[in-house]
Amino acid sequence: MAKTYDFLFKLLLIGDSGVGKTCVLFRFSEDAFNSTFISTIGIDFKIRTIELDGKKIKLQIWDTAGQERFRTITTAYYRGAMGIMLVYDITNDKSFENIKNWIRNIEEHASSDVEKMVLGNKCDMEDRRLVSKERGTQLATEYGIKFMETSAKASINVEEAFFTLARDIKLKMDKKLEQSSPQASTAIHVTQQPKQSRGFFRCTIL
Amino acid sequence: MDDLIEDGKNNKWVMCKFCESKILRPSTASYEERELFLPFMQKKKDLAGTEHKGETLKRHWLVADMFAFENVGFSMTVDSIKYLACADCERGPIGWHDINDKTKFYIAVERVEHRQITQ
Repeated sequence: MAKTYDFLFKLLLIGDSGVGKTCVLFRFSEDAFNSTFISTIGIDFKIRTIELDGKKIKLQIWDTAGQERFRTITTAYYRGAMGIMLVYDITNDKSFENIKNWIRNIEEHASSDVEKMVLGNKCDMEDRRLVSKERGTQLATEYGIKFMETSAKASINVEEAFFTLARDIKLKMDKKLEQSSPQASTAIHVTQQPKQSRGFFRCTIL
Repeated sequence: MDDLIEDGKNNKWVMCKFCESKILRPSTASYEERELFLPFMQKKKDLAGTEHKGETLKRHWLVADMFAFENVGFSMTVDSIKYLACADCERGPIGWHDINDKTKFYIAVERVEHRQITQ
């Protein structure tokens, strides 16, 4: 059967326990709901379809599923990851401080050209905020990574964050494809079509 | 059922019953009858108060590639089975996958909505 998509990106969510990674994974959109059966066994990963620059992109999004409690994540988990969302909780200073450790862990175990993005989650809880937006911005700048504050609960910026990360991965791939002949490329570019001219960025959730 | 199938495939969008999240595009899945046990989405008790854990469902949409799904969640594995759930509201199980057979992903017809969307 013909492939029905142009790109497939594997994304990971990483950060301390309790920062709301699972919520970010669940609440790509609104209406999250605790179903008895599924919430008991837990979600392993999700498949999402988005459209970027007229290309259909499949996202496979993985949560660390509790591995983060050991403060380190093994190489196996990072294998094949093309994008990583580093998530901290703006009401938890330690989770923010630990982002640096997570970045170190990524540098050690993940592919060197993996796209990263920092998310300060729970920005709907302004009254309990301990990490200012400036500190988040500063950290991200320091590492040359994009940054956004999100609220999985109030559905603020979660979708945007995934689109941004996916777009950055795609841009990187487009560049790689330009540099190498399509045959020599190892990128998962399913249709191998010539690059489109990129105009005003538009996206829609399918 | 006949009004949902065309050339052996789903002729409508397959969507979540609760939040309208899109699960499968029209004509991406084939219709297959197979008896599969799915836990209930909510706990159910009969008049005598006995709890029933699930039911055997026979009618399913089948895809061979997990990336055929528009949006879907995969549960952790329980005895080699991964249950499928809505990617948005997380309600489920709406489907079934045995990790020992990587070419079969089922969505139970009764647990989803079918809709014609012009797009």
